[in-house]
Amino acid sequence: MLLTDLQIAARNLAKHTKRNAFLGGAIATVTALLVLLGGLTAGIRAAMLESATTLMTGHVNVGGFFKITSGTGFPLVTDYEKVLANARKRVPELDYVTVRGRGYAKAVSETGSMDLVLGGVDIQAEPQFRRVVRLVEGNLDDLAQPGTILLFEDQAKRLGSKVGDALTLSAPTARGMSNTADVRVAAVAKNVGILSSFSAFLPAETLRHLYQLNASTTGVIHLYLADPAASARVAARLRGALAVDGWRVMDADPQPYWQKFAKVNSEDWVGQKLDVTTWEDELSFLTWILKALQGLTGLLVSILMVIVVIGIMNTLAIAIRERTREIGTLRAIGMQRTKVLWLFLLEAALLGIAGTAAGALAGVAIAAGLNAARIAVPESVQMFLMQQRLWLAVSPSTVAAYAAGIAAVTTVAALYPAWYAAKLKPVTAMHHIG
Amino acid sequence: MKRLLALLCLAAALAPPAAALGPEETLAVIRTVDDRQRNSGDYKALAYMEAKEKDKTDVVYELVVYRRDQDQKLMFLFLAPKAEQGKGYLRIDKNLWFYDPSTGRWERRTERERIGGTDTRRGDLDESRLAEEYTATWEADEKLGRFQVHRILLEVKPDVDVAFPRIRLWVDQETRNVLKRQEMALSGRLMRTSYYPRWKRIFSESKKGEVWFPEEMRFYDEIEKSNQTLILIKSVDLRPLDANLFTKAWLESKSR
Repeated sequence: MLLTDLQIAARNLAKHTKRNAFLGGAIATVTALLVLLGGLTAGIRAAMLESATTLMTGHVNVGGFFKITSGTGFPLVTDYEKVLANARKRVPELDYVTVRGRGYAKAVSETGSMDLVLGGVDIQAEPQFRRVVRLVEGNLDDLAQPGTILLFEDQAKRLGSKVGDALTLSAPTARGMSNTADVRVAAVAKNVGILSSFSAFLPAETLRHLYQLNASTTGVIHLYLADPAASARVAARLRGALAVDGWRVMDADPQPYWQKFAKVNSEDWVGQKLDVTTWEDELSFLTWILKALQGLTGLLVSILMVIVVIGIMNTLAIAIRERTREIGTLRAIGMQRTKVLWLFLLEAALLGIAGTAAGALAGVAIAAGLNAARIAVPESVQMFLMQQRLWLAVSPSTVAAYAAGIAAVTTVAALYPAWYAAKLKPVTAMHHIG
Repeated sequence: MKRLLALLCLAAALAPPAAALGPEETLAVIRTVDDRQRNSGDYKALAYMEAKEKDKTDVVYELVVYRRDQDQKLMFLFLAPKAEQGKGYLRIDKNLWFYDPSTGRWERRTERERIGGTDTRRGDLDESRLAEEYTATWEADEKLGRFQVHRILLEVKPDVDVAFPRIRLWVDQETRNVLKRQEMALSGRLMRTSYYPRWKRIFSESKKGEVWFPEEMRFYDEIEKSNQTLILIKSVDLRPLDANLFTKAWLESKSR
């Protein structure tokens, strides 16, 4: 029976090829656009997750502040081994861990100077770091030697430095005394989005020496989970668990640590407080890009969907007007109102499915073509897209969800005209002159 | 004649070097440096601060410095340029607060803060407390230009928080005014060299004596060589200030 209904619906659609092809094309365009923009957003998010969670943050971070006086907070975790042991115990989802120093300093070369956010790394303990950082010159292994630094291209350009050149890092210690460290540029890496505009890396020991810290003090513990999607849940649980286990823990605040200095320094406490954050918190200054893109996608798709819905309603209204006498005859020979409703809905659903399927295929093909073309992203846009080459991350499940959603909307849009057709009285419909 | 010359050379070579200052004498010099600048009452001065930085436009700041040395109160109020107008620093107990009228917010800053982002530190405009904060060691007596000076090395005392853990001073032997100062980082690296070419004195009723102040201070950044700051101190007034001056409310009222 369903097959017969489908045949009828398909024949009706085929009778008005031009009109339905135009409407189907509009549905396909909306679907393709949604697939492409969704792919772009997912691509940025994936790049952010990969590069940023290697360079700047773990999926979940246990950082914090140590204050010698209430007005001077420093991003430190004292006795970090104990905190780490506790985190290992409390987070069974843990995949691996890295320990990073945190700091900032003014880097001064012979020809220039700039402020840098410093990450203290143990390069031999971080194989993932090599995967993300692509060198322009130098050797990443040299970063294991004390008194070295890894710069990104733009920083090296601004400082006029190349591998082997000396830089002076000037920063106040945790007690506020001026200190300096002379470092040698061990490697220059390709830019990795906005993060590489201010982040530089040096051996953890050199950072400790600059800030006069002991070996049991670090900046942050990065926890990497088997499933990054569980970050928020794990962070909330760990925050509670650390507090229960006796640590003073800061309230959840979705901001990167360097945006918390003013707030922390204005609070009246001294000593250590831990701060548990997710990668999304630490990159919240970047997520506006994703939100803006998602907003733009939503707006575009909404406008196009309104046009499609009006198109569907209009097309069906025309079809009903053209087939009023046919509806009257069908009703007169015994077809139920629900059957009429069903037939018109089926027509709209078929059109929607065909349009979204074509659009999804086109979207996937265009995305694959763009990815294969490895289009270089302009430098000014790289900062925001976090990509050097355009990459659209298109997943089958997302595409299927987009297609199903749009097909459902087109079907629902047909409800009113179909209901109008179903409520026609047979006598009136048969006498209709159209 | 030749014999006389040879004798003179020999005498010069054998002559004892300039007498070294012992620890007590060196401490006495540093105490004198502090005491000469100390005013037991209130202090108000108009200061001009010219900051020169590489690749940036020179900026001249105008600020009023308020001090009540008796209980270590300190306040700076910026009058110019326009962008800085109404901004200020206020020390309450051991905390230095910064006020920005554009946001209406107070931020707690470190006492080692660079004032207005220049090479000037809070200590440059505050009461001199070298003897309290540092241990002094005499290094040499030498000439600095036309002045005969003591060169003294100061090292920070344990558990005292200062911006520079090591300072080298060139103190005029005659007047006990500091003429030159070098500040070093923990690493030993020279961070800043300062010159104090002009000193002035003013009679203080509260001290019942003279108070000396450097009318001109020149700071040279030794890390970023092209950065320098000039400070001129004008209109020093040692009359008592309003009792309720050192409050957040007072500083906020100045930008309303």
